[in-house]
Amino acid sequence: MKRTDQSPVSWRRILGTLAFAVLLEQMPWSGVALLVRPDFVLVGVLFWALHQPARIGFGAAFFFGLLADFQDGAVFGQHAIAYVVGVYLVLFLRLRLMQFDAMRQAVQLFPILLTVQLTVLLIGWLAVNPPGGLAILVPVAGSTVLWYLVAVFAQQWHGRGLQERA
Amino acid sequence: MATPGQLMFTRGLGPTARLLIWLLAGLACVALDTRYHALDGLRSGFSLLLQPAREFLRAPVDVATELGGFFTRHRLLQKERDALLAERAELAIRLNTANELARENAELRSLIELQTRPGHQTVHAALLYQGHNWFAQRITLDQGAGAGLRSGLPVLDAAGLVGQLTRVFPGSSEVTLVSSPEQLTPVFIERTGQRGLAAGSGRGRMELRFMPTQTDLREGDRLLTSGIDRVYPAGIPVARVTRVSRSQSSPYLRVDCEPLAGLDRSRAVLVMVAEPQVTTQ
Repeated sequence: MKRTDQSPVSWRRILGTLAFAVLLEQMPWSGVALLVRPDFVLVGVLFWALHQPARIGFGAAFFFGLLADFQDGAVFGQHAIAYVVGVYLVLFLRLRLMQFDAMRQAVQLFPILLTVQLTVLLIGWLAVNPPGGLAILVPVAGSTVLWYLVAVFAQQWHGRGLQERA
Repeated sequence: MATPGQLMFTRGLGPTARLLIWLLAGLACVALDTRYHALDGLRSGFSLLLQPAREFLRAPVDVATELGGFFTRHRLLQKERDALLAERAELAIRLNTANELARENAELRSLIELQTRPGHQTVHAALLYQGHNWFAQRITLDQGAGAGLRSGLPVLDAAGLVGQLTRVFPGSSEVTLVSSPEQLTPVFIERTGQRGLAAGSGRGRMELRFMPTQTDLREGDRLLTSGIDRVYPAGIPVARVTRVSRSQSSPYLRVDCEPLAGLDRSRAVLVMVAEPQVTTQ
């Protein structure tokens, strides 16, 4: 199995990456950059839910979802519910995802990220008002690319794992 | 049977049960927030938590903008200066006229013993953060309750009305832009004086609602705030009519407008803080 399962990853690294993701989202994004901005926090939460399910799970996803709700000035709970659904899907496909290389993982993550975003769309639609267009789905592509880069980086960094077995 | 958590001898609830519990918690949050506005404290907490980070991260972008401005061409600056000088001369003439009119107005008002209009005090604020505008268009400013702001105040930039403060935190505040869906602005048509109701239609655009088909409206007409709602002072430019079309099925015109204020460009705005009504005598 992957190295991340055996050697414990320090809490410091998990929280550090998540805090970094939160900071990235606090930058004054605007225009096209805001439109395609990947959801750094969501990717971070799903990544750790995949690699450290015992530490980062539903509770963390819910908390960071509330944070995302605050950022967009949205209804509290909108992103929280969506992130929780995302974590569930990742846990559900965990065994399969752990087998894949970065590219396949990213392809597999795309429908999950899309489902998360559709959940946001649905709850906003029901709780607030109809969305103005489908621009809400654009960040899914950005997040998928980000996942690919993160997965490549993680596999390069840890060296062992897939490349050895393949 | 799929075991999503893959923790073999896990004790406690399975992932599906935990998912359901968290979903219920999420739905409770949505209900509490939309129906009872019970989570404003949490919002303030997040605001306090993230404000320093946002201010810190705004700095590099500002520096980059400054550096970009440093390399603006000299010729461009000269041209701009000439234009500004011409504009200043014109404004000086207008200012004289306005002073004269204001004096005359004050005299007339005192003659008929009308209460003078309350003055307006303004607070300068800068854009701090902009979130996604999927359901409502909001921006966050770097001034809050500490600067005397409160919910409901109008926000302007140099070109026109930007929006209205809807949430005020201790050190920052949220503005709902005029182009946000469901945001209504009472306006009148500058050319004819007819009053109407402008509503945001999302994606940075607005529409003028409920104008009968025989209304005198042309492309290019400016809409100003009418002031009858006592929220916005009268006469602030709001939008320009870009398209007027008639539909067979509706008794009203379909009027598309474009907000005049730089909703997605302005980085510095003014918040108008109305002085409390002074009771004379």
